[in-house]
Amino acid sequence: MAKLEKAKEPDITIPEEFGLRDEVRFLKTEDIKLFRLLRESMNKIEPAYVATYPPSECGIATFTKDVVTSVAKYTPFSRPMVVAVRREHEIEPYERIVRFQIYKERHESYLEAARFLNDSYIDIVSVQHEYGIYGGPDGEYILDFLEALEKPAVATLHTVLQNPSPNQKRIIQEIVRLCDVSIVMVRVGRQILIDTYGVDPQKVTVIPHGVPNVHRVPAARVKRALGMADNSIISTFGLINRGKGIEYVIQAMPRIVEKHPNAIYLVLGETHPGVRKYEGETYRNMLTELVAQLGMEKHVRFNNRFLALDELVRYLCATDVYVTPYLNKDQITSGTLAYALGCGKAIVSTPYLYAEEVLADGRGLLVDFASPESIADAIIRILDDPKLKENLEAAAYRYGRRAAWFNVAVDYLGLFHRVLNRRRLAKELVESTQSMSDRQ
Amino acid sequence: MEMDLGIHVKMHNNIGIIKLSGELDAYTSGRFREVMIETLENGCAHLVISLADVEYVDSSGLGALVGGLKRVSERKGRLVLVGARPQVRKVFEITGLEKVFPIYGTEQEAIEALEHFES
Repeated sequence: MAKLEKAKEPDITIPEEFGLRDEVRFLKTEDIKLFRLLRESMNKIEPAYVATYPPSECGIATFTKDVVTSVAKYTPFSRPMVVAVRREHEIEPYERIVRFQIYKERHESYLEAARFLNDSYIDIVSVQHEYGIYGGPDGEYILDFLEALEKPAVATLHTVLQNPSPNQKRIIQEIVRLCDVSIVMVRVGRQILIDTYGVDPQKVTVIPHGVPNVHRVPAARVKRALGMADNSIISTFGLINRGKGIEYVIQAMPRIVEKHPNAIYLVLGETHPGVRKYEGETYRNMLTELVAQLGMEKHVRFNNRFLALDELVRYLCATDVYVTPYLNKDQITSGTLAYALGCGKAIVSTPYLYAEEVLADGRGLLVDFASPESIADAIIRILDDPKLKENLEAAAYRYGRRAAWFNVAVDYLGLFHRVLNRRRLAKELVESTQSMSDRQ
Repeated sequence: MEMDLGIHVKMHNNIGIIKLSGELDAYTSGRFREVMIETLENGCAHLVISLADVEYVDSSGLGALVGGLKRVSERKGRLVLVGARPQVRKVFEITGLEKVFPIYGTEQEAIEALEHFES
């Protein structure tokens, strides 16, 4: 089977930013008067983030780093920190921004983290929630952390199940109760929280999943740089596991190739480390065998390694049709689908909750779950119809621009300020009521 | 990469008026910096930056504006903004930069304020 070669020298790159934080650092030596003016005028906020964090390999860790980095760009005088949740066997060092570590399976570690934050300069704590990243049954240790935390907190809920177990339901209900505000990334997630979990609608808000800031570029130019100028490129990326449904796209390939002989399906990304731990490369090997059975060796390529953002964006920019064939109807977030929207791609997806919402209004084509026929139909439709492809790309890109990390960061920062203002007003109200009753 | 920022420059006495349209971000803010420098080198003391047609501003755009403010201050001039849309205005409010960059409703109001400042 052909291995995907490392990309040749790119003709696109995401530019290095010289942003507000860099400019302010520069002013400190070049124009102290202006530096002081900015320091006195700009809003100050000191956030801490609790989650997994790189070098841990998981979607939440990547997401957390993106939020931390993006918000920090707008707060040049703040000193954000991360409280990283780690497994015992992880030994790779963290960046300096990680100031405290929670050992996932050690209960006391959660209480120590809360005490650490209570005693720190931090104003507000942002918690990323996904059941699997915390210890205890269904990750319930996070509740003890939140109970012990005395600082304002917001939670980003990456998983909101439609049919949770009683304990899973309780955990989400408690997180919403203990935090000032909880964030979901699509409206349907908020509705499920209200309908199924019975949470207070005032305590849930929607902020989209962020996407890299990528300006549109003609796919042909990037394909040339990748040595794939004559191919119709279909792709899926992310950490690979059984729930991704990649086998159904592979099964769709013979029909696609019949109509578009130069079509290639790129499967970009390594096996999820958690999956690799208990079943090795069983799923990927099954996919490889399927490719061989179908005689699709020249039309399906795997790239079994972690891709840096620039490289990932390059492949996305070269892509004609991006596919998320995922099998779990309940999935309310997909970082990879968000990235494809950000790059303005024509997208084909199964109708899991997140996809159903973000691909509405002509932003993508939805196909049946586990259906090679349906996937083939949609991909062929796009490859046959340049006008449809262009319309899908333009609609996806418009949506993706609003969700660019620089916009999402402003949403997070705005929420942090609202929460702190609300807390301050509540405190003032209590104090003035107390003062009145003292006078009487 | 496409450069999604339109830049139009005109002069009013010693005031340089730079009208932007599109997105002021990491891809485009470098060009904007250059235009501000060119405008000041052409003899302007003050800058009016019109953001009325700007859809998004990211931290690179804010950095460019702060850089522009530094250069204008060196000339004892001022840098003011005109007509930010809600999404853009929100960025200035949330960062607190609205206290550093006065934002006027129209170009004319901005020019009058600068002329008043001069006198």
